[in-house]
Amino acid sequence: MNALVLARLTLRDRRKRILALLAFAGLFLAAAATARLLVSDTDGHVNADQLFLIGGYPAVSALLLMGWLLGRFPIIATLVLMAGLFSHDRAEGYARLYTVRAASPLRVYGTRFAVLAGVAFAISAVLMPTFDLIMLGTWAGPATLVLILSYVLVFGGLVALLSVWTRADAWIALLLAVAALVWDGLRSAGVLAQVPAGARDVVTFLLPPQAMLYSIEEAFGNIQPIPWDAFLYVAGYGLTALALAAVALHRREV
Amino acid sequence: MIELRNVTRIYAAAPGRGRVDTVALDDVTLAIPPGGVWGFVGPNGAGKTTLFGLVLGFLHPTKGRVRVDGLEPRRYLRRHGAAYLPERFRLPPEWTVGDALLALAGLEGLKGASAKERVAAAMERFGLEPHAKKPVGALSRGLNQRLGLAQALLADRRLVVLDEPTEGLDPLWRIRFRDAVAELRGAERTILVASHDLAEVERIADQVVLLEGGRVKEIMDVTPPATAGTGYRITLAAPSPAVAEAFPGAVEATGAGAARGTIQGGGAPSGPGAVGFPGAAAVPGTATFPDALAAPGAPDGDGPVTYLVHVADAKELSTRLAALLEAGAVVAEVTPVGEPLEERVRRALDPEAAR
Repeated sequence: MNALVLARLTLRDRRKRILALLAFAGLFLAAAATARLLVSDTDGHVNADQLFLIGGYPAVSALLLMGWLLGRFPIIATLVLMAGLFSHDRAEGYARLYTVRAASPLRVYGTRFAVLAGVAFAISAVLMPTFDLIMLGTWAGPATLVLILSYVLVFGGLVALLSVWTRADAWIALLLAVAALVWDGLRSAGVLAQVPAGARDVVTFLLPPQAMLYSIEEAFGNIQPIPWDAFLYVAGYGLTALALAAVALHRREV
Repeated sequence: MIELRNVTRIYAAAPGRGRVDTVALDDVTLAIPPGGVWGFVGPNGAGKTTLFGLVLGFLHPTKGRVRVDGLEPRRYLRRHGAAYLPERFRLPPEWTVGDALLALAGLEGLKGASAKERVAAAMERFGLEPHAKKPVGALSRGLNQRLGLAQALLADRRLVVLDEPTEGLDPLWRIRFRDAVAELRGAERTILVASHDLAEVERIADQVVLLEGGRVKEIMDVTPPATAGTGYRITLAAPSPAVAEAFPGAVEATGAGAARGTIQGGGAPSGPGAVGFPGAAAVPGTATFPDALAAPGAPDGDGPVTYLVHVADAKELSTRLAALLEAGAVVAEVTPVGEPLEERVRRALDPEAAR
C-alpha cells in the first residue's frame, strides 16, 4: 500500500471540508484584522472599550464569541475533518474496495487518521497564534501547540472509535464534549457531591477529560508553564480511544 | 480453494415490534476447488451477495466456518488480496477515472511506472481512456460498471469475485466481459460470478450454484446449450445389452452432476419435458413410467449406469424406451442433456409451474 497515494486521496476526499475550515479561519482573521484596524491601543492590543464605543454590546459580544470559538477551533476542525472516517466508507462500500487489496484496514484508516489529524493541527496552529498576534500583539507560545494537539488527540481518537460503529460519530463526539463541559462545571461547583464517588469517577473517566483540557487552556491563556501531567492524561485518553478503535476495526464487519 | 462448512448467516433485526431476524444463509456447505468459473444464481434474497461477503471476509458467519486456501478469509485477503466487483460499485464521486484507478493500483502495491502501465492497460481494455479525466460521479451506469471491472482486474489475483458484473453493460461490452473472463481462466484462478442473467452465467461458468432461501438448492454442470430434446441421459438400474439395440450409438456416461428428472408412476405425462409411452402424448421434460418400473433398483450384479443417447425428438425417445423396457431393462431415470440453464433453474425453483 502506498501511503503517499492514500494521503493524497484523503486530502482530495476532504477537500471541501478543508476549504470550509480555511474559509472559517479566514473569517476569524479578517474579523481580527478589522478590529485591530478600528480599535487598537498603542501597545498593539485591540481595545474592547473602544470597540464598545463603536459597535456597542453586539460588537463586544461578537469579539468575545469569536475568542471563545477560536479556543474551540481545534475541536471544530477535528470533528469536521474526522466525521465519517470509517463509517462513511463502510456505508458507501469503499471500505470493501480497500480491504480486498491486501492492505490492512488498520494501515489504511490509520494513515487517513494521521493525515486528517495533521491537517486539523496545521490549520489550528496557524490560525490561533496569528489571531493572537493580530488581537494582542503577542502569542501564548508553545502552550498553543500543546493545547491544539490535546484537542486533536482527544476528539480525533473519540471520533475514530465512534466511527467504527456509527455514522453519527462526530455528532456523538460533540455531544460528549458538551456533556463533559457540563459535567465538569457541575463537579467544580460541588453539585455532584451527592453522586456516589465511584460512579462520579467512572463518568469523569469516560467523558472527554475537560478538567485537564481546562488546565492546559489556562496555561495557554495566562502564558504559564505547560502542565505536562495534564497533557499526558489527555494524550493517554486520545491514544486509548485510538487503540480501542484499532481493535474494533480489526474485528468489525466491513 | 474455498470451503464453507455448515455456514449460517443471520442478520439481526433492528429493534422494533414484529421485526424478525433474516436468515441469509442457512447451513450451507460448499467446497469450491481451485480453478474454473463458478456461477451463483437465485432469486433476490437468495444469499448470493452474503455468500460472497463471507468468502471475502467482509462478514462473519453466525455459525460454521469459511476458509479460503485453508486460511480465514481476512487473513487470506491480507496476504493475497482478491479481485472484487461489488453489486453496487461506487467510488468517491469527485475522483476522476484515471486518478481512481491509479489510487487503487497504489493500494494494490503497484508503484510508479508499473502502476501507470497497469492502469493504462485497464483503461484501454474497458474503453475508459476517453473518460480518464471525468469525475466518477459523472459517469453513466455502463461506464461506471466498466470502471468497476477495470479496478477489479487491475492486479493479478487468484481469487476473482464479481457480483452482477454485466449490470448496465450494453451487448458489446457484455461480449467483451466474456472475453475478459475467458482470458482470466486458469488452473490457479478461481472466478465466482453472481448474476441474475442466466444466459450470461451459462456462457461463462463451468458450474452453477443455485441458491434459494439461503440454501444451496442445486449445483449444476453447465454444458453448452444443445437443441432441446436431442440429447438425453438414461440411467438404468443395471447395465443392459438391450441398450445397444434400442439406442444405437448410445455412449456410457461417466461423472456426476446430471440434473435429475422426475419419475412419476403411471398416468399420462404432463408438463414440459414429460416423455410419454406409446399411446401417450409426448411432452418433453418429465419421464413417466408404469408404477412397476418407477422405483430404481439394482438387480444381481452391477449398479446403476447412465447412457447418453441422441434422438430426433421426444416421440422417438418414447418409442425406443418402450423397446428397452420390453427387453427387460430397468430404467431409473431419463433427463434431457443440454437443457438451457433457465429451464433447469425454473424446474428447480418452481416444479409445479415447470410442469
